[in-house]
Amino acid sequence: MRKVKAVTWFCLCFVLLFALTASYTAVAQEKPIKIGLQAPITGQWAYEGEMAKNSVEVALQMIEEQGGILGGRKIEIVIADDASNPRDSALAAQRLVSQRVAAVIGTYGSSVNEPAADIYEANKMIDIGYGSTAVKLTMAKERKYFFRTCGRDDVQGEFFSEYAVGTMKARRIAIMHDNTTFALGVAEEAKRALKQYIDAGVAELVFYDAITPGEKDFTPILTKLRETNPDIWYFTGYFPEAGLLVRQGRELGIKCPFVGGNAAINEDFVKIAGIEYAKGCLMTQEPMPTDLDTPKAKRFLEVYRQKHNTVPTSPWPVYAADALFALTWAIDKAGSTDTDAMLKVLRTGMEGCQGITGSIAFTDRGDRKGIIYKMYVVTDKGEMVVYKP
Amino acid sequence: MTILLEQLLNGLTIGSFYALIALGYSMVYGVMKLINFAHGDLFALGSYMGYTLLVWSAGAISQRFGLWGGMAAALLFSFFAVGCVGVLMERIAYRPVQKSGRLPLVVSALGASIFIENLIMAIWGPRYQAYPASVVPVHTISLGFFHITVMQLFILILSFVLMLILYFIVQKTTFGAAIRATALDREMATILGIDVGKITLFIFFLGPALGGMAGVMNGMYYRQISFVMGWNYGLKAFTATILGGIGNIPAAMLGGLLLGLIEMLGAAYISSAWKDVFTFLILIIILIFRPTGLIGEKIAEKV
Repeated sequence: MRKVKAVTWFCLCFVLLFALTASYTAVAQEKPIKIGLQAPITGQWAYEGEMAKNSVEVALQMIEEQGGILGGRKIEIVIADDASNPRDSALAAQRLVSQRVAAVIGTYGSSVNEPAADIYEANKMIDIGYGSTAVKLTMAKERKYFFRTCGRDDVQGEFFSEYAVGTMKARRIAIMHDNTTFALGVAEEAKRALKQYIDAGVAELVFYDAITPGEKDFTPILTKLRETNPDIWYFTGYFPEAGLLVRQGRELGIKCPFVGGNAAINEDFVKIAGIEYAKGCLMTQEPMPTDLDTPKAKRFLEVYRQKHNTVPTSPWPVYAADALFALTWAIDKAGSTDTDAMLKVLRTGMEGCQGITGSIAFTDRGDRKGIIYKMYVVTDKGEMVVYKP
Repeated sequence: MTILLEQLLNGLTIGSFYALIALGYSMVYGVMKLINFAHGDLFALGSYMGYTLLVWSAGAISQRFGLWGGMAAALLFSFFAVGCVGVLMERIAYRPVQKSGRLPLVVSALGASIFIENLIMAIWGPRYQAYPASVVPVHTISLGFFHITVMQLFILILSFVLMLILYFIVQKTTFGAAIRATALDREMATILGIDVGKITLFIFFLGPALGGMAGVMNGMYYRQISFVMGWNYGLKAFTATILGGIGNIPAAMLGGLLLGLIEMLGAAYISSAWKDVFTFLILIIILIFRPTGLIGEKIAEKV
């Protein structure tokens, strides 16, 4: 009798345990995949943070429309505010780590991203930056878990060379920088990309020199530039000097097209150069969301407009959406949220992954592959629109 | 040849700015034995004053009195306004600490410099401002093989006239003799019945006023001004003062023009990125081998 009772108890326990496990598995299947979004929701870049959050939500809606990932598992976005500063950035990163999200999108500013990237790195968590373009994030030290969907600062140099020689058919190229880390990086990259054309004999680098930032009189260097008779003139520095360079250059009789980097041309540039000289100046710049022509971009803007009655007004928020596309692609391909499996996909299995800014793939160091820049031109009214040669 | 001529012209233009600012340094040093570090910022203040007058109610002054009338108004306004600020600065920042020796004076001068720089930022904002093209002459005169802009010609002539007037006042009038006497020996000048207070007042008006005028000309020439521009020009003009010889008025003019020429030619024929290196290399060389400047007096014994 006693024995029977024990067996019954044993069976009961077993059944109970089984039921528990089964129900646990069922719950697990229902549990949403958590993806962190670290963004400047408050602070000086609050505006960017807001747009990034909206863009990621729109991207999520688009993914769900397509049937979701892993057979329709729910995705939950966990938002962490880094308040646009490095100190809160570290706290936000720690919070996401402790909430055990599958991976993180973020963040906007390069200097803010740096401490967070270190924390994600230490905790073996994938982080995809969406507005941090500083070269050092990927090039200063190797980060295994850091990627970015935006371009690297100096990649626009490569874009310039390809565009100048390939599209504008310029032969005599002049490049000018101001010795700051950023401008020098862009100029060096442009020079490096130009090499293949020089070797092929279709282009020449006729001028490569630096100005001193903060200076006002550039006539000596511009006189030298004029002597080299360039077809196109690329300046990679900042707008205060760019404005003066254009005006003084034009007054000296340099007539070739002027191309600025993405820090060279803004409304203050137009004011300093004067509209008579500013109009027609070109610039290499990340495309504005409304200037994107991929199929996903159309749908994205449509949904965004429906939900928020406006469109993102800076180039960066769509990169946050693209980060979500990349992450969901990686999770889907890997078949789980296992970090190592996801890493493998992000490094080698991205063929076919389409984002709003085009196909997404990463280099060994986590930089976005391919060029996502456009040439913009200053109109008669001083506005910037996409350039059509 | 054309290039050389153009560079010489550019050098003289920028040299005129340096010379006008250097005059202020030199005069103040003469009577106070003080390097007025705030002088560069007074120069920046001057260009903001002229800018404000010229853009005031959409360029009303230029429209009413014509292009040159507007420019004259801006130059005169800046001349008097910055001159008054200079006098105020002497009262507030220098006179109270004058008796405590030279170090407190220098610290006070640095403080005044930071104060004025931030004042400009507080009033006009941290962004770059631009003189509108409609209020300055933008024509170029072509002399066959080389050309000169009307603005450059104007700057050269005006600076030359200003320096000539100043030279005349200081070297040929009784008042000028009193200034020179004060510079040579303040105590002795007082004993001889020279009103040193009046001389100081005059110097602290005229020095900053000239700097303010240079500021307006600089703004009209480059058409871009910022609140931090004073420091750079102040440093260059200080170098020019040392180059010529501090405390000596003709020396400051010479130093300014020479520095402008050296800078431009160095940038044109050696390297543009090294422009500032030439400037400060010259400062170091002069300080080592000829601390009294090219035509300076022997100040080392005096102080």
